[in-house]
Formats: sequence, C-alpha cells, structure tokens
Amino acid sequence: MPHSLTGTRIRQQRTRAGLSQTALARQTGISTSYLNLIEHNKRGIAGKILLSIARELGVPPSSLTEGADSELTTTLLEAASSVSRKSVEISASAEFAGRFPGWSQLLASIYRQNRDQEAAIAALSDRLTHDPFLAESLHLMLSNITAIRSTAEILTTVEDITADQRRRFDKAIHEESRRLSDATQALIGYFDKEATPDGPSETPDSVSEEDVASMPLEQFATSAAISCYNPSALATEFRTNLHAVFRRLANLRVAGLQAPEMGLIITNAAGQTLHRQALSEFPLPRHGNACPLWPVFQGFSQPERPMQDLIELPGGIQFTTLTIALPHSEISFGAPPDYQSAMLFLPLDQSPWPTPPQPARAVGISCRICPRKNCTARSEETVL
Amino acid sequence: MSKRILIVEDEPNIIESLSFLLDRAGFDISFEQDGAMAMNRVLNLTPDLVILDVMLPNRSGFDILKDITELDVAPHVLMLTAKGQARDRQTAEEIGVTRFMTKPFANAEIVAAVQEILA
Repeated sequence: MPHSLTGTRIRQQRTRAGLSQTALARQTGISTSYLNLIEHNKRGIAGKILLSIARELGVPPSSLTEGADSELTTTLLEAASSVSRKSVEISASAEFAGRFPGWSQLLASIYRQNRDQEAAIAALSDRLTHDPFLAESLHLMLSNITAIRSTAEILTTVEDITADQRRRFDKAIHEESRRLSDATQALIGYFDKEATPDGPSETPDSVSEEDVASMPLEQFATSAAISCYNPSALATEFRTNLHAVFRRLANLRVAGLQAPEMGLIITNAAGQTLHRQALSEFPLPRHGNACPLWPVFQGFSQPERPMQDLIELPGGIQFTTLTIALPHSEISFGAPPDYQSAMLFLPLDQSPWPTPPQPARAVGISCRICPRKNCTARSEETVL
Repeated sequence: MSKRILIVEDEPNIIESLSFLLDRAGFDISFEQDGAMAMNRVLNLTPDLVILDVMLPNRSGFDILKDITELDVAPHVLMLTAKGQARDRQTAEEIGVTRFMTKPFANAEIVAAVQEILA
C-alpha cells in the first residue's frame, strides 16, 4: 500500500497532540520547512525520522504509515479502473486522497453510489429477462391486450356484424379487461413484496434473532474476553456453530463493546458474498471479483476443517484469519450439501489468537487493483 | 375451394377474433388450444397455413414448428407470439418458420400477412 498519506496522518496526530510544527520539528531534529513538506505528502518519510516523530507524538509508527485511508484509496483505484480513460493518474491516488480528503470522499461516494445503481440496474435487467413470474405475467398481459385490441378494432371498424356476435365481442372485452386488471394488480403486489425486506439483513451489524437468543450480548462479550476470543470454546459454551460465533464476534465492536475489531466475510460455493463486514485496512469488494487466494475460498476444498492462516496484503499488512466451511442446511442422503464458508479476520498486531507458524500467504483485494506480479490466480489485468 | 387455416392458440378470445377476421377474408378456419394435440390436428386437417402461438399448454410452439417442418408436405407456419425477443425470432427462423409476428397485432396486418402467404 502506498505510504504517501503518512504526512497527513502526522499532521493529524500533531494537531491532536497540540504541538506546533516548529515544536515537533525541533523535538525530532528536522527543520520546520522539511516537516511542512512531509505533512503535505510532498516528501517521503521512513526510518529514523519516522520513528522519532512517532515517539514524540506518542503513537506506534505503524499508525502513521498504515491503513486508516486504505479503503478510500482502494475505492479511488476502483473508480479509476472502472473507466476506460487512460489519463487518470492512478499512481497518485493515495496522494490525492491525502491532499484532498474531502474531494476524495465525495468522489468515492459518487463512485460507490454509481456502482451500486449499476448493480441494481443489472439485477433488475436480469430479473426482467429471467424471472419466471414476470415472464408469465407479461405474457398474460400481452395476450389480454392482444385480445382487447383486436376485438375492439373489429367492433369499431366492422359494420355488418350480428347482434349475437357483437354481444360475444363485448363480453370478450369485458373478460379480458378484468384479466388484465388482475394481472396488473398481481404484478404490483409482486413488486411491493419485493420492495419490503422480509428476511434478515446482510448488513454488517446484523445478527439473527437466533444468534441473539443463543448468545446474549453481555454474557457472550464476557465469555469472549475470558476465552481470548476463542471461537471453538465459545461455540462449545453457547452450544452453537462456528459461523454463528463468528457473526457474534464480528458484531461486538459494532455493538459498542470493548473487543478487537474483526472483519467477516461469508460466501457460498458460487463465490457470492452473503455477509460482508470489512475493516478499514482490509476492504472487501462489494460485487464479487475478490482475490481467489483468500482462505475463505480455500475453505470449500476442505469442508468443516477449521483453518487458521496468516495472509499479507500488497501493502505489507498481515492479517490472522480463521476460516471454516459448514453446511448451511441439513445434510441428507441423495442431496449435495450446501456449504457456506466464513472467514473471520483482523490485523496480526491486534490478534488475540496465537500466530500461525506458517509464513504469511501473499494475497490481494481483487485482481484489478492488485500490483502483485506473476500471480497464478490472476483472472484479469491490473490497472496499477 | 377455400384455403384451410389451423389456429393453434390457447386464448379463446384471440381465437374468436382471428376466426372472425379470417373467416370474413374467405378462409376455412379450425383451431386447437392444446399444444400436445396440435400435430394430430395438422395431420388430420392438412391445413395450408398454421397460425402458431409459442407458449401453449403441454407443448412448446417451437417443438410443434419443428415437427411441422419435418413433414413431407409441410404447411406454411405463421408464428404469432407475445415472445417477441430477437432470440425467439432467430430460433423460429432457424427451424423454418414462414413468417414471425408479435402480439399485439393490428387486424389489417394479420389478414394481409395471411393473404400474402397463401396467395
């Protein structure tokens, strides 16, 4: 991950600490003008100067160089890669985010809105094409309209028509009009039902009623802290499955409790994201195209086997992950099991779990914005 | 002798209006509402033209069209359907339809098409 936002973070921390540029520059042994250039991301910073500034500000060096704006930068990269214009300065995305955070947030917000609307349009288009109820309804309505139009045209253009025939055509128009009305009402009812969410939300802070009942929040939070956030122990204690425990653990911080901030992704075997809870340092693509090397996808090759992994994003930040694929519905003979894989993750330096002995596996966010070369899992060219 | 037309269509009011129009234009009209029975009617009636819907009870109009085109002496087929998508038209043309028209239709248009096919 580019470090060109480091200056912005130094400026934020210095302001927060109530220090002037002159004072911090003097304490760290550099000139005020040089610190000014650093704070405006016009000079790189590393090594002794970085350590010295971090010490004077009373913060870990990593907090100045990592993470906080990576989701914003990633979104800007996604926005740049979504258009075919070659003139976008992709390499300067982090600098842009650092120097113009307000404009960057606005651009990212517009891009996300646009992307979500495109996805909604694509989903609606797909629905119009393939939804059996809509296809049947439209066919029925077109048949009604055809009969009404043809019959009405006969009644208005043909003069030598018998009274009996006229009555039959009048009756046909009446019948078809009523059917058309019924079909229209059914269609409206269908869309009204679709517009009203009637299932559990997939938003990050959603925990099912079943989860709430089986793992009361306060009790769960206490047990989680005592067990060092050990999902296996919690699953045993609360007599529930590991996916439910993962959801509850990821929900603790959202619920405002003291706990490590954890991200969570749950997917089905088709790779569709069923639950998405990103971390600022670990953004999750909103519409698929995630890195296939994530342990959550490896889970399907070893169903029901708990896996603990260490992964490293291109910026160098490492994450501990816990992954397991579990059957979503009851297993029965003669029917293939429907597995869902869940991956709980958090930065290695915040992890309450033992560090996995194996070296970190290099992964990305998604191929389009992944700078890794010679990756055998790459499915499309990077824009970087 | 009047040319014979078989209407294969499941909507009775469309059958009624088509029969009225084509009868007045001088054709001999029969109809069938069940897709599974359509080929029997074709074989028994030996019509000059089949006006064929696509979405029928028990059998698809495309399957019926395929069977008709495989007859030694095949009648013309005018496919008249609410399924007006390009791929449906392409499928019908690949099988060998004489004319493909979509619902809803103008009465004059359908009568003109039939007269042209049977001229």
